[in-house]
Amino acid sequence: MIEHGPQKTAIMLDVNGLTQYVEIEPRRTLLDTLRIDLGLTGAKLVCNMGNCGACTVLVDGVAVYSCLTLAIECEGKRITTIEGLSEEGSLHPLQQAFVQHDALQCGFCTPGQVLAAHALLERNPQPTEAEVVEGMSGNLCRCGAYRGIVEAVLTAAKEQAVTSKPGSGKTA
Amino acid sequence: MQPFIHIDIASAEEVIPLLDARTRPLAGGTDMLPLMKEGIVAPERLINLKRATNLRYIRVADDGLHIGALTTLDDLERHPDVRRDYTALAQASALAASPQLRNMATIGGNILQQVRCWYYRGDFHCWLKGGDLCHARDGRNEYHAIVEQSPCVAVYPSDPPAALIALDARLRIIGPQGERLVSVAEFLQPPTAQRRSLHGLGPNELIIEVHVPKSAAPAQRSIYLKAMDRATWAYALVSVAVTAEVAADVLRNVRIVVGAVANTPMRATTAEALIEGQSLTEELIREAGRAAVADAAPLEHNGYKLPLTRNLVGQALRDLRGSSS
Amino acid sequence: MPKVIKTTINVEGRVSEKFAIVEGVELPPWGENEELGIVGYPTPRIDGAARVSGEARYTYDVQLNGMVYARMVRAKAVSAMIGRVDVAKAKAVRGVLEIMTPENAPEIKMGSDQTHLLSSEVRFAGQPIAVVVALDPYVAADAAALIEVHYEERPFVADPEAALAEDAVKVQANKPNNLLNGKPRIKERGDIQAGFAEAEVVAEVRVTTPTALHNAFETHGCVAHWEGDQLTIYESTQHAFGVREFAAKKLELPLSKVRAVGTYMGGGFGAKFPGNAYTIIAATLAKRLRRPVHLMYDREGENLEAGNRGRTIQRVKLGAKRDGTLTAIEYNGISEGGAAMSWIPMLEGPASMMYRCPNFRSETTGVLTNLGPMAAFRAPGFVEGMVGLEAAMDELAAKVDMDPLELRRKNIPDTDQLDDKPFSSFPVAECYRRGAAAIGWERRNQRDQATAAQSNGRYRRGIGMSSQIWWGGGGPPAYAEMLLNSDGTATVMTGTQDLGTGTRTILAQVAAEELGLPLEHVNVTVGDTLQGPFGPGSGGSITTGSMTPAVRSAANDLRNNLCDIVAQMRDVPQEEIEIRGGVIYRRDEELASVKDVMGKLGDVMLTGTGSRGPNPDDVSVVTSGVQFAEVEVDTVTGQVKVLKIVAAHDSGRIMNPQTFNSQIYGGIIQGLGLALTEQRVVDTGRGAVLNPNLEFYKVPTVADVPEIENILIDIPDVKANSTGAKGAGEPGIIPTAAAIANAVANALGVRIADLPITPGRVLEALERESS
Ligand SMILES: Cc1cc2nc3c(=O)[nH]c(=O)nc-3n(C[C@H](O)[C@H](O)[C@H](O)COP(=O)(O)OP(=O)(O)OC[C@H]3O[C@@H](n4cnc5c(N)ncnc54)[C@H](O)[C@@H]3O)c2cc1C
Ligand code: SF4
Ligand code: FES
Ligand code: FES
Repeated sequence: MIEHGPQKTAIMLDVNGLTQYVEIEPRRTLLDTLRIDLGLTGAKLVCNMGNCGACTVLVDGVAVYSCLTLAIECEGKRITTIEGLSEEGSLHPLQQAFVQHDALQCGFCTPGQVLAAHALLERNPQPTEAEVVEGMSGNLCRCGAYRGIVEAVLTAAKEQAVTSKPGSGKTA
Repeated sequence: MQPFIHIDIASAEEVIPLLDARTRPLAGGTDMLPLMKEGIVAPERLINLKRATNLRYIRVADDGLHIGALTTLDDLERHPDVRRDYTALAQASALAASPQLRNMATIGGNILQQVRCWYYRGDFHCWLKGGDLCHARDGRNEYHAIVEQSPCVAVYPSDPPAALIALDARLRIIGPQGERLVSVAEFLQPPTAQRRSLHGLGPNELIIEVHVPKSAAPAQRSIYLKAMDRATWAYALVSVAVTAEVAADVLRNVRIVVGAVANTPMRATTAEALIEGQSLTEELIREAGRAAVADAAPLEHNGYKLPLTRNLVGQALRDLRGSSS
Repeated sequence: MPKVIKTTINVEGRVSEKFAIVEGVELPPWGENEELGIVGYPTPRIDGAARVSGEARYTYDVQLNGMVYARMVRAKAVSAMIGRVDVAKAKAVRGVLEIMTPENAPEIKMGSDQTHLLSSEVRFAGQPIAVVVALDPYVAADAAALIEVHYEERPFVADPEAALAEDAVKVQANKPNNLLNGKPRIKERGDIQAGFAEAEVVAEVRVTTPTALHNAFETHGCVAHWEGDQLTIYESTQHAFGVREFAAKKLELPLSKVRAVGTYMGGGFGAKFPGNAYTIIAATLAKRLRRPVHLMYDREGENLEAGNRGRTIQRVKLGAKRDGTLTAIEYNGISEGGAAMSWIPMLEGPASMMYRCPNFRSETTGVLTNLGPMAAFRAPGFVEGMVGLEAAMDELAAKVDMDPLELRRKNIPDTDQLDDKPFSSFPVAECYRRGAAAIGWERRNQRDQATAAQSNGRYRRGIGMSSQIWWGGGGPPAYAEMLLNSDGTATVMTGTQDLGTGTRTILAQVAAEELGLPLEHVNVTVGDTLQGPFGPGSGGSITTGSMTPAVRSAANDLRNNLCDIVAQMRDVPQEEIEIRGGVIYRRDEELASVKDVMGKLGDVMLTGTGSRGPNPDDVSVVTSGVQFAEVEVDTVTGQVKVLKIVAAHDSGRIMNPQTFNSQIYGGIIQGLGLALTEQRVVDTGRGAVLNPNLEFYKVPTVADVPEIENILIDIPDVKANSTGAKGAGEPGIIPTAAAIANAVANALGVRIADLPITPGRVLEALERESS
């Protein structure tokens, strides 16, 4: 039995392959920890209630809403944020597909969309269009970039953008 | 959200002595955290169940399906045996929430999900929260009950439990007195003046397993239909789970459960009796649909739930009939 | 030499005459068949990489040394005077730095009758009444929950129809009634009575549209930062220069001391224009605390306070000859404005402009209620008004037994009926022709006969359409500067903003095209008042029509300067110099690359300045178009599924088909939301908004989105401005809800007059039909 809090407690997080140290209250969400404490502002806060998907990150490769995840429960897990997807300034092929298909407008939902797509393709490398729609249905886009998003994910699948790079990115 | 103490445990057994009204278990957190953010609940200690690895499993055994309480809805939706033999449960899981939420949400937490009534989730100290008044009755109630079971007219929000009831599932619950087994149908109860919640879980009890008995009949089929007001990622307007043994156009041992029309998922027993063993004609289907809402009395804004329930029950029967092969 | 000109500006139907300064020579417009190499081609966004990688820094993401977090405390009462505000417990929370309440709020006039930054009079639940600043947002929230507010509650009215009653409770006590300006806005032309007398057929409809919430993904808010006496405001805004002006005015600062930055913003849709108290609150608190203050709304605050498209109740009556010729249009609309309303959306716009009709009368009423205030929302008034007009047109078509499309064709206007000027370009007939072919419109009329036969099936299909009209030509003032760097790359600098519309990209395209550089050599900075001259607010679809000519003019100026230098360096006549693809030619002879020439000059820059020229006086510049919708209604669940939308819109020259498509798609999807899923739900008895969240305010998901075919009309509007481009931000949303509603009516054989067309409403309509 391990007890933490309610005051701040020190934890180590593996974020994008780097070990990070933070002192946080147990109530702090992973999203706020990433954004406020680690300055990783790619994941966005939009609803804070699990209603939109903009805060999507990968925890051990699984897409979750970081606004409903406690940071303290992520110790010992691999966290991947959008910042961990592109390498040394070059976009991940999935991100490139998003740009090529104009799968974004304001871009505020986009980091979450990209990570949801990444998780989808990792699990189902060759999805049908219906499967893409289903798999991306946990990410709202108020600008309505949906057509481009579906095309981008299908293109990335065709190009094996996710699966052909095992071990690459800091995500696999 | 109030600050709290966070406790990690390694197995379910460790949890029981710790539990009380102010020390609550935390599973996926997808309902607990929103409730805490809204200040509706404010536990002082949260016990993280997720490191109790012995609670996340799907086991197919001779006596049916054993589902650890920490199994996610995503696990259920994808499991090949669940999809084949307990179709309604897989469908109900797949139709719940969104992919990310299903990755996080556990079946135990899902069964215990609080009502989604917008007064309850908003700033109103309504009856279910311990107040005197149900605001939805004379307010906006398009998503509320058409069958009155208590002073509260909120509907039970979760999808999978309606399927579980149709499949006659039971819960294994542990507490200070040891273990008890209770059917999901009995576990989910309308609130009372003394117990303002939709279920009968004691403050120091833990759900550890869902057991779905295996049907003796190889022809047993099940289906779950959910009507929403958006293509996906919405709570049910009305849902229907049906299990039956299907032979050509005859259904036997039929169980029809209607969701989102009352405080609990409701068995439509009159409708079940009507069609039991009968050749399922369109006329009979319509009659069964009507029977399913015979006791219903809609509120000001939810009259549509009558035809919707009728239609959905009918459609589920039609689909099941068509599934015999 | 700067010139002062007088020009007419039209933003969302609000017309004003303005003086503007114009610099440089007015360029001849690119012709209809101009051979362009970059403009007009599908071009991925130049800021796409920043946006997909998490690198783009939005206001919400700004983090500065010592920054602290402010949180709004919002009224729980609906209408009240605030008595005592007890902050002792909140102040005692460790980490709380400051609490602003009506008692200690500075005396800065906001709106028409608010004397302090925070008012002590509550007019709707959710109104900001205090602000807590703390080291951390969690601490701020803890403290906010401990503030005790004592209200003297008053009666309220939260239903627009009830608010119209003579004896209704008044939302603003100092006003005679709840009508904005005390009375409806009346517009007339011709003789409405004569028009109806002349009519052989009359069709009348009553429709309502719901209150829609913008729900831009980034909420409203700002970060205020003082460095000495210099104030920087990062704000999620549709008008950076407007933020600067507003802050300077309210804080009594010289404009030169204020900088506004909004380089990336997460959607606005009309609600993010300056003039919001939070900007001044954050600046005031930052000054008091000597620390940067981060003040972003949460989702609930956003949905309660930051604006909405008000609910409408409309009656439309059309008179026509048997052959479909319109003789009279009478329009009556009520628009709910909430607790503060400064203008009435132009609900009557479509009825007064879309179809030719000599006799017209409209009465449009803005009504106040004790709910969150309205704000512009993507084509305000026109989206709603089109639903009413197009419903009436379909009813009329049925009455005169005419194909609905034919009826519309018959009544295409030949002038802008608001000012009698001819249109600069109005290819709506072309839009009809191509759109109808793409959807297979003829199936609709065949289906009419078949409807009875198929009405027993589970699914019923229908097709509907709606036309579109709107402005979008833009105008002055709008300025740009360009720099050509020593390595041959160029920077466009302007204070306009890119809301996600693709502005940066089309400005880069225009600059590259005019200057003769490859696109990759052009960078664009927008949304920073210190990094470029004035750009107009991005509303009314005016950004493209205003900014692309300004950038073209700056690029041309720079090009002339460059040619001048090359002429001197190489001793060639200036007129013979051409620049293409970053290479300088004398006729066809290659002289040098731009990079080489610039490199020879050392680390210096060449500059160019440009501005948007005046609008033409003799024509009216509008956008027009049509959308067709095909739907399938599930009679079991009542759910409406949109199968396909065909859109054909005239926006003049299409600068970038890719981002143009995205704009149209985005409009369609929001229009689909209005038609089917979105509505603010209010308990009028309690004055409470029940769904100020993304859970029960249902914006469309990816699974709600149909196949969309957007037909590129692409006819440069050479009279409008020097690039021939007009806006596309709003046109796409205008006809969608109307077309879907008409398609559902076609599928069901009865009209569902209240939007959104929810499963509940469909099922109720089917019940009525079967009983
Ligand atoms: C936006 C949104 C949409 C949703 N849509 C749907 C939907 O359409 N259909 C649907 O069915 N659900 C829906 N949900 C609800 C979701 O399925 C539930 O929140 C989830 O299943 C709860 O599981 P959890 O593991 O996250 O529970 P938690 O949030 O961790 O816990 C919920 C409650 O159960 C208690 N608890 C958890 N596990 C146990 C246990 N083993 N024993 C005793 N007590 C326990 C907790 O103490 C808490 O009180 C939605 C949720 C969200 C946020
Ligand atoms: S329906 Fe139940 S939860 Fe909703 S207001 Fe009434 S008592 Fe409260
Ligand atoms: S911010 Fe987490 S789901 Fe919306
Ligand atoms: S791109 Fe703006 S919300 Fe998706």
